Amino acid sequence: MMNRLNHLPTLKIDTARKISFTYKGKIYYGVTGDTIASALFANGVRIFGRSLKYHRPRGLYSLDGECSNTCMQVNGIPNVRCENTLLEDGMVVAEQNVKGSAENDMMSFMDKLDWMMPAGFYYDVMHKPAKLWPVAMKQIRKAAGLGKISPDFKMPGKYDEIFLNTDVCIIGGGPAGMMAALSSAEKGLRVILMESRPWLGGFFEYRSAEYKDGQTLHDRANDLAAQVRARENIRLFTHTACVGTYNNNLVTGFQIGKKSDVFDQRYVEIRAKSVVVAAGCIERPLLFDNNERPGVMQIACALRMAKTYGQLPGTKAVFSIGHDLGLEAAIELHDLGLIIDCVADIREDGQDPALMQKLMDRNIPILKGWVAAKAHGRKVVKKVTLSSIDGLMTRTLACDLVVASAGVTPVTGHITVALGTLKYDGHTGCFLPDRMPEKMYAAGRVLGLNDAMAIEASGTLAGLKAAADCGAGSSEEIGKVAKIVASLPGPARGSKLVTAPVKGRKSFICFDEDATIKNIKQALAKGFDVPELIKRFTATGLGPGQGGIPGHNLPLYVAKYQTLPDVSIRPTNVRPPLVPTLISTYAGTNHTMFKITAMDQMQRKDGGIFRNIGVWQRARYFSDDFSCKKEIENVRNNVGMLDGSTLGKFRIHGPDALKALQRVYVSDMSKVKEGRIKYSAMCNDDGCVMDDGVVVKLGENDYYFTTSTGRAGQTAEWIRYHTRYDGWDFALVNLTDSMGVINLSGPNARKVLEKVVDIDVSNDAFGFSAYREFKIADTIPVRAMRLGFVGELSYELHVPASYMQSVWIMLKEAGKPFNIQNFGVEAQNVLRMEKCHIILGQESEQRTNLLDVGLGFLWDRTKSEAKTVGAVALRQAENDPARLKLVGFKMENNGRAPKDGALIVDTKVRGYVCTARDSFALNEAVGMALVEADLSRIGTRLEIFEDECGDDRIYGTVVKMPFYDPEGKRMKM
Amino acid sequence: MFSKNKPMWGKKPPLKSSYDVVIIGGGLHSLATAYYLTKEYGITDIAIIEKNYIGFGGAGRNTAIVRANQRTQYNVPLYKEALDLWPVLTKDLDYNLMFNNCGNLNLMHSEAAMKAARMTIATAQFHGVESHLIDAKQAKELVPALNISEDITFPIHGAMFHPPGGVLRHDAVVWGLARAAAAKGVQIHQQTEALGIGTQNGKVASVTTSRGAINTKQVLISAGGYSAALIYDMLGIKLPISVLTIQAMVTQPLKPVLDHVVSSGAYHCYANQTLKGEIATGAHMDPWPNYTTLNTAHYIKHQAEALSEFLPCLRGVRFMRIWGGLADMTPDMAPIMDGNEQVEGFFMDCGWGYFGFKSCSAVGKYMAQFMATNQCPDMLKPFALKRYQEHRLMGETAALVNYTPDN
Repeated sequence: MMNRLNHLPTLKIDTARKISFTYKGKIYYGVTGDTIASALFANGVRIFGRSLKYHRPRGLYSLDGECSNTCMQVNGIPNVRCENTLLEDGMVVAEQNVKGSAENDMMSFMDKLDWMMPAGFYYDVMHKPAKLWPVAMKQIRKAAGLGKISPDFKMPGKYDEIFLNTDVCIIGGGPAGMMAALSSAEKGLRVILMESRPWLGGFFEYRSAEYKDGQTLHDRANDLAAQVRARENIRLFTHTACVGTYNNNLVTGFQIGKKSDVFDQRYVEIRAKSVVVAAGCIERPLLFDNNERPGVMQIACALRMAKTYGQLPGTKAVFSIGHDLGLEAAIELHDLGLIIDCVADIREDGQDPALMQKLMDRNIPILKGWVAAKAHGRKVVKKVTLSSIDGLMTRTLACDLVVASAGVTPVTGHITVALGTLKYDGHTGCFLPDRMPEKMYAAGRVLGLNDAMAIEASGTLAGLKAAADCGAGSSEEIGKVAKIVASLPGPARGSKLVTAPVKGRKSFICFDEDATIKNIKQALAKGFDVPELIKRFTATGLGPGQGGIPGHNLPLYVAKYQTLPDVSIRPTNVRPPLVPTLISTYAGTNHTMFKITAMDQMQRKDGGIFRNIGVWQRARYFSDDFSCKKEIENVRNNVGMLDGSTLGKFRIHGPDALKALQRVYVSDMSKVKEGRIKYSAMCNDDGCVMDDGVVVKLGENDYYFTTSTGRAGQTAEWIRYHTRYDGWDFALVNLTDSMGVINLSGPNARKVLEKVVDIDVSNDAFGFSAYREFKIADTIPVRAMRLGFVGELSYELHVPASYMQSVWIMLKEAGKPFNIQNFGVEAQNVLRMEKCHIILGQESEQRTNLLDVGLGFLWDRTKSEAKTVGAVALRQAENDPARLKLVGFKMENNGRAPKDGALIVDTKVRGYVCTARDSFALNEAVGMALVEADLSRIGTRLEIFEDECGDDRIYGTVVKMPFYDPEGKRMKM
Repeated sequence: MFSKNKPMWGKKPPLKSSYDVVIIGGGLHSLATAYYLTKEYGITDIAIIEKNYIGFGGAGRNTAIVRANQRTQYNVPLYKEALDLWPVLTKDLDYNLMFNNCGNLNLMHSEAAMKAARMTIATAQFHGVESHLIDAKQAKELVPALNISEDITFPIHGAMFHPPGGVLRHDAVVWGLARAAAAKGVQIHQQTEALGIGTQNGKVASVTTSRGAINTKQVLISAGGYSAALIYDMLGIKLPISVLTIQAMVTQPLKPVLDHVVSSGAYHCYANQTLKGEIATGAHMDPWPNYTTLNTAHYIKHQAEALSEFLPCLRGVRFMRIWGGLADMTPDMAPIMDGNEQVEGFFMDCGWGYFGFKSCSAVGKYMAQFMATNQCPDMLKPFALKRYQEHRLMGETAALVNYTPDN
């Protein structure tokens, strides 16, 4: 294992504390603070993986994970970006997409076959003959993809989520971000600072160049970080990548937990009043032949390997750069012991004279107007050919490290995904922010700045502007700081070169997808003339690196190739998540959010088998016998209890309450009498039944009504919407959750109820369709209705939810002598089906209207049409012969019931079975079906087609409804 | 072996002053209609007017799932034909559309859903489309990654398995159709905006564009999510369409792990693995009408929550890209295809919601027949606009839809 540079103040590793990990089955050691990549590099690993198509060797490139080069399988998790994933004890690390090993990949011959694979070649091959395609497809699937996940993989770790509100949210913890945080925090605002690296400091943190008065940039970064940490109103999220910026300044990200945290990763969602984007720059990759060979790396990668992780990135280096940062890095790395043969600078002039002097002092030759043209070496870099920009002169040098970078390019994804726009800037050669989203400000290098003072001042300015959006600070102060920023050096002239003077057969514009300059030319020739289309045709930028490598080079190259004017150059779209994010992290704690009724626990204790029904969980069965024979027979012959608390329950009152009811219900609601219940329905403008329920009158313009379970959520909105122009005065209260409902049903129901209540419940005093209010034990207010949904003597007791359990227990006690039993939703379903009482959604579908289901009698035609929602459509539908009708049917020859959803057919589909069951009460199979009108006459034979029936059919006959107790004596007894 | 490096849909043509047919929108329905007009009817004097570039809208944003397990007898035969056409088109266009007929598995999470599935399956089988109701264990055999335990939010009761369905490469369909249409003389005008339709005596007379006016007697608007607004702006015809943003996303690419399209209504989530290895997954529409195609923080999180439960191995996988497109929804989730009804010479093909991709092949064929013969083919008759005026919805969805407060 390599000896580390041990005494640099910038180091983030602790060489005294070793960490062991497994790589390709062998134990290796890194040190605390290492990333997986830096630990592997220290162990001599140079080839980290193989590329997607050509299986080219790939290695360290940016240290920030902008490409898939160093994606590895870690602890069974695919595509882990090793460049910025911290090493942990016991990690199991493996290469991806290799046949053999990354070092010796048997698929590496693919690299020679690139002539067979021009841009979009796969659309032109493998489909002739057609038989070839399924075979080829299997191979494509196997070859594609990076990393594996096992179908039974269980993701370890804890995933948390946190939702925050703040005044100012700052993205980026470099000098600009920290200054912004400090300036808005000074106004007393709540500030959140997000930084993707585990530490603050950004662009300053790893550099030893002078900040001011002999202080290094690194020291300055530490000073600022200390100031930020000292502010109690700055909440700091380090190791937290921002992954999305949305409307109204919603910012999302994820935080990687420290050992001491209770989570491994945490989803972070922040609602901010204003946002500062200080995300800095990445380097724009330099395009030349073999520009991704292991040993070629970007400036900050080479420098940070030394300054952060204490490792020289090579022994003998050639630089090909286009930015002063490259000169500075050459000087620093030289002083740390790297041999630098030569620095080729794309720029003919404009270099910082002080840096040039330092290079001269160190005898490092510099070639102005030169660029790397080709890296040599089969697996890793052995030599590099430099070329003059015009391609006329070349020179080849031996080396094991090529530090290559075309320049810098701002990280602008946070701005564009929030719908800010960018503009190509000819001076810097970068895409710079043009129109910023509302209440979002850019600071620092995102603005193209390079000067340390200017970066900091721009941060202060952005922080003040963001504070002003929160109502703090003065415009005078902003003006003052703006003047300071204006007086400092602005954006530096940047190199605009995209590619070395090469044909580009092996110049990779996108590493992830193995897309070359040549491929881009091929796409252009085929008529794909917009970067966004080239992206789709060549897959450039669609890989795991999410466009980090080609994002800005592609549009620049396309513009250059087509000789387009600068103004027309647009970068391709960046999409969230800006950093790939684990599904487990997004899912967070993943709450289950069903509503439960007051009776939930008691019914579960009684053996209730629960199902999700809409937003609720309800007891559907009370035994393993899903035909519910016992439950059904108990209700028919004795007495049962059902928890009906999920029914929608509403009170509507106020001077215009009746008018509102008249509007939405099809019946004449003025006929609702006190002490009586009225059953009615609501339709939509197509006359289709939306809802049914009962209404009772509590007083003048004061009503209590129920809706079906599924409709409760929309009812208030429905009534408000349909009365929105009337200015009526009424109040609507949703009592669904505050009231519970017990349905007490069966011939013995009265005997149970009379033991619990004080009022007279005889049929004379409390008959069918009556409504009574009373108190149990002088305490519990009850609204009681005599209904007959299941076709037996029934009481529906509406009780405040807080008293539900008490009343339930009292009824259960009272019912003990009769052996009272629970019944669930499925038993109710069969019981009511035998009575042909419909359930909307079961005997109706979206297109079924009131008349179709035989509820036309509810519709009061004397109400004027404009007043009743759906009346116009109903009138029109009355004469429409082409509608489905609800019918009852019995199976022929005592046959079994068809399955729900079976079709009614002849030569075509004529209808379908809504609900059908083998009835225990009737001792035969009955059901209801929606059929075309000419099949609806009594006695019509129905041909029933079930799934998987083949040529077999079963038959039923249309009969009169209801099947059970047609005179309704039992529910009125 | 490879098509030559020449522009696939020809050099940029100048806009002529008249065409036999003008098609507004450069998406799949337009391209397919143009293709079939040239192929079946020899009508080649066609201009396609596209504001952006071909495939910019829904054609390039959908997740390219195809199936023929719709709910009603009006829809099933149309989608069946569309499904059967993919291998034919691959051959005729001589372009690999990468049809992966891996089969679709639609998960059911309740007894009620199983009943609904049974009706759909019976309808499919009645029309000769393969589709089966399978239980949770059988589903697990097909998709080993599936979580069939009872303790998830929506336990899996079973699934509708539809073997002939699958996935295509949507861009390939766009480019293949465009190439074939252009080869026959169809002019594709990209970066050209249609601004209006001129009528004379109740007949279509012209189309004005950002590059000049065109005389024509026939116009088709099939501009995906933008159709309803265009049709209203240009002809004042109000359609019962709500436009909503719908989002989809992909994970990083993986070696094969998911061999079928898996979808779940209860979880509002579907997922399949593309040939590139990404898990493509999409969700329900954003619940408010809008034309933004904006992504929201909510949906990617929702998607992760859903996948975490029913395909839990994906917890170890990363999302890398989310995008949005438009779904133009009708009240019955069936499209509107009509012509020569509101204005002579005016045709429309819209309201496809999120079914536009899977239907495009067959619809192109029948819309071409409709336009070439001026007779509505039987296959398209049930989709006329007048069904809404007659309050006769098609029943393509069982449950009530709720896009805006009034439906």
